[in-house]
Amino acid sequence: MSAAEPVVTEASERSPVAGPAPLRRRLSTRLLRSELRLIAGRRRNQMGLLVLAAVPVLIAVAVRISSPREGRGPDFLSSITSNGLFVPLAALSVELGLFLPLAIAMLAGDSVAGEANLGTLRYLLTVPVGRTRLLVTKYASLVIGAVWGVAVVVVAGAVAGIALFGTGPMPTLSGSEISFGAAVWRVVLVSLYIAAGLAALGAVGLFISTLTEQPLAATVALMIFTILSWIADSVPQISWLHPWLLVDQWMAFGDLLRDPPFWDNVAQGLRVDLGYAVVFGLLAWARFAGKDITS
Amino acid sequence: MSFFIDHPRARWTLPLAALGVIGATALTVNQTANADSGLPPRTAAQLLADVRSANVSSLSGTVVQTSDLGLPEIPGLSMSGRPGSASSSMTSLISGTHTWRVWLDGPTRQRLALIGSNGESDVIHNGSDVWLWSSADKSAVHHTLSTDQVRAGSAGKGLPSGLAGGLPSGVPSTLPSGAPRTPDEAAAAALALMGQDTTVTTSGAASVAGRSAYELILTPKDKATLVGSVRIAIDSQVHVPLRVQVYSTKRTNPAFEVGFTAVDFAKPDARQFSFTPPAGTTVTQSDHLLAGKGGTSANAPTPSAPTTGQGAPKVVGSGWSTVVVAPFAVPTAPKGSGGSAADSTAQLNGILKALPTTSGAWGSGHVLEGSLFSVVLTNDGRVALGAVPTSQLFSALAAK
Repeated sequence: MSAAEPVVTEASERSPVAGPAPLRRRLSTRLLRSELRLIAGRRRNQMGLLVLAAVPVLIAVAVRISSPREGRGPDFLSSITSNGLFVPLAALSVELGLFLPLAIAMLAGDSVAGEANLGTLRYLLTVPVGRTRLLVTKYASLVIGAVWGVAVVVVAGAVAGIALFGTGPMPTLSGSEISFGAAVWRVVLVSLYIAAGLAALGAVGLFISTLTEQPLAATVALMIFTILSWIADSVPQISWLHPWLLVDQWMAFGDLLRDPPFWDNVAQGLRVDLGYAVVFGLLAWARFAGKDITS
Repeated sequence: MSFFIDHPRARWTLPLAALGVIGATALTVNQTANADSGLPPRTAAQLLADVRSANVSSLSGTVVQTSDLGLPEIPGLSMSGRPGSASSSMTSLISGTHTWRVWLDGPTRQRLALIGSNGESDVIHNGSDVWLWSSADKSAVHHTLSTDQVRAGSAGKGLPSGLAGGLPSGVPSTLPSGAPRTPDEAAAAALALMGQDTTVTTSGAASVAGRSAYELILTPKDKATLVGSVRIAIDSQVHVPLRVQVYSTKRTNPAFEVGFTAVDFAKPDARQFSFTPPAGTTVTQSDHLLAGKGGTSANAPTPSAPTTGQGAPKVVGSGWSTVVVAPFAVPTAPKGSGGSAADSTAQLNGILKALPTTSGAWGSGHVLEGSLFSVVLTNDGRVALGAVPTSQLFSALAAK
């Protein structure tokens, strides 16, 4: 960060939302841009994106070269042949279980724990940027990373699907058909919904990342959190807990493919996402703002 | 904000406060059911009359049914580990939550959509057309009603009877056949049970699906039954039952609940009732809806379906503690039928094996005891069923 970095007052840093409008305009995006450059430049992240993009391509090619047969695969798989847009949906439902949370876990592990491990965190804190602002920037980059990852899956899937199966009206789960344009819109909604869930997971990851200086520990811990949530969600004996689990409504994105869309579960999912983001975001702030940066 | 600089530990109060706000909000949302909406008091008789005179021809809404029947978990049956996987209709009958959407527009146009995870089964009735759609196997069954049937359908308020059983056997047809599909039907069934055996009272107003409602409480006078009470919430304006809850004597939460979570009494969009099978759908033309029902639901594991020529069911007791004793045979897979029938027969035998066995003066057999009802399947081919503890079933079986 150079000396040209605008210095904002302590008060506006702590509550950027409440700050007066002229002051907010002075908030530079340089910190965020540099963070995003770092994320995009890491070789492991690029490889991760490649893996994310490979899955829909693999699905599309496999369905194309095999004869249609009976039997249940992942959701939406059987519908792919009728419309290429089902490729991203099938890919999302497959990757939501492990790959997409893993991508977030990698980013979250790097965000604070990774910098602490490399020793760059204390240099980052010597620039005239408050810790709160640094943390908000870190979280914003995680949210962008979530959207990014989902977008890679969807775009790769849509390109592969449309190339191999073409466009056409999309059959909804309710048995009606919607036009291709409306179908694209539905897929965008699905992507945003999934990205929101991953962004909430990113808040959990950010908090874990402030607890340790080992990026791998943070990544593994977040994956354990995710997988434990999936396991808890599949145990019917603790159904009272299910509405409180982050992953509980993640698969509800299929409700957006009904006609008309069924919003109840999606709204519940977004409420849970918001709750997790707020609570774990504040936890991360409480931890990070008072943390001793020793390395 | 210098407060947090002076008191770093105080920062931790913020996430805790956020957690508290979320918890409090969740509690308040659940508690609104008890909110007093200032409705003028109405007696139980007035409410019953209201319900009978209710005339709602069009509505659209979402119905959620939850059941906690307290039946044992049966290994090998619950395949619902992964979201989106097929859950068998038997498992889903026993426990869990089911959601369906209804659209009604007069007697000739109805639609029912069962919401499964990433799947949907629809029944669409539009004039003389009845469509059954299942997204899981992308199949549709088309049936054309004769004019007589159209008229007969007009007499009933809800969907033509027999449709529930006629749903394609494909998942997610999670709705147990014979279960009430709308709160309206459930209330009618409960009201039919009433008589001298039941105390009927009203309680303070409830709030269901954002609408204020009166609540009618039916309490069995008979202490032998497992049914603690039945609560029916009736809309204060259009007098349609919005929710039915059945409480067991064994637990505090409702053992069975069906109710609207959203309801709108405006005329639904005509688009909801038009159905054209999407490309790639397997369409079956069915001449006889009921015959079609017999054909498809033979696959369903319905042990209570008595085989002809084995005698009629016998009724022991009366009112809430009625016990039905019927002949029963484990169905064998019909020859030449698809794999699903054999599967469900094997599944049923698996369930039978998993059930605890017991014996007494009445013989011996398998026992299933839930929070609302009990079933005894004897080894000599009888089944006894009732909303009573198993001891009552044993005496009914012993009475022969």
